[in-house]
Amino acid sequence: MYRFRFLLLAALAAAPVPAQIELSGVWQNKLHEDFPDRLAGPEIGDYTGIPLNAASRFRAEAWDASLITLPEYQCRVHPSDYANSFADIRIWEEYDKDTQNLIAIHIHHFAWGTERTIWMDGRPHPPDYAAHTSMGFSTGKWDGDILTVTTDHLKEGWIRRNGVPRSDRAVVTEHFIRHDNGLTWVVIIHDPTYLTEDMIRSRDYVWSLAGQIAPYPCESVEEVIRPKGVIPHHLPGTNQFLKEYQKNHGVLEEGAMGGAETLYPEFRKKVIAAGDLGGKAPGPLQ
Amino acid sequence: MFKKIKSRWGAAALMLLAAAGTSLYAQGFGGRGRGGPPRPPREAAPIDITGYWVSVVTEDWRFRMVTAPKGDFAGVPLNPAGRKLAGEWDAAKDQASSDHCKAYGAPAIMREPGRFHITWVDDNTLKLEADHGEQTRTFHFGGAVPAGTKPSMQGYSIAIWQPASGGRAGRGGQGQPGAAAQRGGSLKVVTTNLTPGYLRRNGVPYSDRTTVTEYYDLLRESDGAQWLIVKTIVEDPQYLTEPFITSTNLKKEADGAKWQPTPCEVR
Amino acid sequence: MIKRNWLWMAAAAVAGVSGLAVQMAAQSRPQQPDFSKVEIHTLQLRDNVYMLVGAGGNITVQVGKDGVLMVDTEYAPLSDKILAAIRKLSNAPLRYIIDTHYHGDHTGGNENLRKAGSTIAGGNVAGDLGAEASEGAQIVAHNNVLLRLSMPNGNQPAAPQGGWPTDTYLSDKKKMWFNGEGIELIHPEHAHTDGDSIVYFKRNDVIATGDIFTMTSYPIIDINGGGSYQGLIDAVNHIIDLTDTVYGQDGGTVIVPGHGRLCDTGDLLNYREMITIIRDRIVDMIQKGMTLEQVKDAHPTFDYDPLFGNPGGFWNTDTFVEAAYKSLSQTVKKK
Repeated sequence: MYRFRFLLLAALAAAPVPAQIELSGVWQNKLHEDFPDRLAGPEIGDYTGIPLNAASRFRAEAWDASLITLPEYQCRVHPSDYANSFADIRIWEEYDKDTQNLIAIHIHHFAWGTERTIWMDGRPHPPDYAAHTSMGFSTGKWDGDILTVTTDHLKEGWIRRNGVPRSDRAVVTEHFIRHDNGLTWVVIIHDPTYLTEDMIRSRDYVWSLAGQIAPYPCESVEEVIRPKGVIPHHLPGTNQFLKEYQKNHGVLEEGAMGGAETLYPEFRKKVIAAGDLGGKAPGPLQ
Repeated sequence: MFKKIKSRWGAAALMLLAAAGTSLYAQGFGGRGRGGPPRPPREAAPIDITGYWVSVVTEDWRFRMVTAPKGDFAGVPLNPAGRKLAGEWDAAKDQASSDHCKAYGAPAIMREPGRFHITWVDDNTLKLEADHGEQTRTFHFGGAVPAGTKPSMQGYSIAIWQPASGGRAGRGGQGQPGAAAQRGGSLKVVTTNLTPGYLRRNGVPYSDRTTVTEYYDLLRESDGAQWLIVKTIVEDPQYLTEPFITSTNLKKEADGAKWQPTPCEVR
Repeated sequence: MIKRNWLWMAAAAVAGVSGLAVQMAAQSRPQQPDFSKVEIHTLQLRDNVYMLVGAGGNITVQVGKDGVLMVDTEYAPLSDKILAAIRKLSNAPLRYIIDTHYHGDHTGGNENLRKAGSTIAGGNVAGDLGAEASEGAQIVAHNNVLLRLSMPNGNQPAAPQGGWPTDTYLSDKKKMWFNGEGIELIHPEHAHTDGDSIVYFKRNDVIATGDIFTMTSYPIIDINGGGSYQGLIDAVNHIIDLTDTVYGQDGGTVIVPGHGRLCDTGDLLNYREMITIIRDRIVDMIQKGMTLEQVKDAHPTFDYDPLFGNPGGFWNTDTFVEAAYKSLSQTVKKK
């Protein structure tokens, strides 16, 4: 009798610490912020809101969208730090069967059906010479009810999918914040190779009752017949599309070209001082 | 103890009560000791959001840093009535009027590229000031909207702390404001009693039936940076087909050296 | 007799053209580190294939019941540490060393490690080199590696005789079978050097590229050693043709670059993108009649400098642009 009570007490005392808050389920991405560039895709020459450096801008200006017609690029997936730009996700947890300790949190993303693992069991990151992947290597911990994730070992990716690069040396910090049936996924990219300061983005989701994500098979085909070995790009100074974004949306050039200075309130004062308040060019009706 | 409890049900009940008590204590209920009066909101704050914060405009840049052209309301879930009104925006008319602050109401002010200063007015009231547009919002802890409160641009905001549910893991390290804060949590603010205004400077409307729900979350990065993530949910049955959700990223500044109040702008 | 004379005649011809090869070999070696502080790290790639990382070029090791095979040998002072790392993987004899090319940071340990191994002597040059070559592991490489390593520099050869390849091939391919796996040595013409071998472990789907692909600098085009920019691009494209991915650009074939972290097809595609774009820019400038100095001033590598550029050192951004300009100028003319 007493042994039974002792064992029961011991079992309760040894009860594993569950996740601080439940993130599991299918989450529907709300595209209320940055709608045009997240869904349809960013326009050439739109580097607004990005603290990119000169090397990054030079590289973005060389980018040709035809690059993704190459068979080897057609099924190239969005890296994990870009994943919250669009499309729904499914989050689920993995527990050790015997201890019920949380081992990992997994995220499935609609686009290309990518899946990433956030290790929650305290394992170390791989050494510098280990391989990099599009999802990177992620470890997570709870800060109160906020899941904080650190990711490195990322393959080269992009800050924006119009050629603005993110290097393979970046370290990405993410925070998953849930309130009721809403999820905010904050991504902070630390990439001194191509950014002059950390880049932060926060995207919002709502929990999906339907809980369905469609499959996303991808197969490469020959889209453009071109000589072997040709890589589409613009030679320096030849990209004639760079100013279209500015013209179409009445954005001054300095803003369109991005840079850390354009992210802060002081830049608006500069805009006002220049008399370029926007709102003048006719805009598209939805 | 166990020898005195002859019933197995009694032992089980005792264990369950012990576990429940531990859980309740960890969430911070019960005040200074079990059965004490609740702590005032300033003292019970699970996070410290006071100080100076600057907008870092990495999202919706062409809707926030500059004014988008009339009719460009990409991303806002407007219904036909909302679209119609947005399409009728007349910047010159707004400029000529005395009211240049239509885009600086509670549903939109946090999206302005400016600085915010958050302070405690008293133990139960937080004040949020915006330098761009020279606006002040007041967050009242507890209670309800007082009867007879007139609608206004900033409406009436009721705040509540939402401590972290887990109660154990909190941010470790230096500079923690206190035991309660180490558990983490959020500030939830619900604002009603609004006069009509603009969700964006180019005349995207919201009505006086709007409710704004906000969550303020504090992030501390390993390099010392602090971010205040303000999630804003705008519900307007008159002009929106669904809640309009944005999350604004504010970075902590050391002081108010760059604080620069400027009046509202039509564009 | 004829065979011996042919080989030495070829050697003399090459020596006449590239007497600077020895100098280049010395210049090609990066500044050598403090070897006492270098650790050899081991990364498992497949069941029986590993990558060793130290100070020089990456080493690929395959182990099994037939013995041990390694690709490249780094620097001589690291041989003991490298051998110790191999012994943690297998106690079987070291049978084969494959050299991806002749540079010292990939062949410096040849002699030490060959002596630590054992094999049945053979190969097309073992008999010519005497009894010493019949002991120890076989060193397999393209014949041009032998020519460059054995190139006389005054009264001294470029590398110790004990480290010269003992089994060479002259065509574009050599096939081997070891530890239940087909291993193909693929020789691209005039890529990083004129003696490159891409080593393809077919069953394990692992490719060791030598310095045709490196993650730590712009590609080294050893013009004096027979390398060429276009040849290097062609070699990269050839490697890409061999690889598979699981999905998109991730997974599948494992690629061991000459230097830097472990890679796969996605990394190689990014590298190809970089070298092709820079080539196109420099070609465009050559066609416009720009001089080398003008090309350098135009900074054709500006957007990739944060990743691959080095302001100083034995192989820096300037030396890369110079080599690229010289190499491409041989086939591209002003319009």
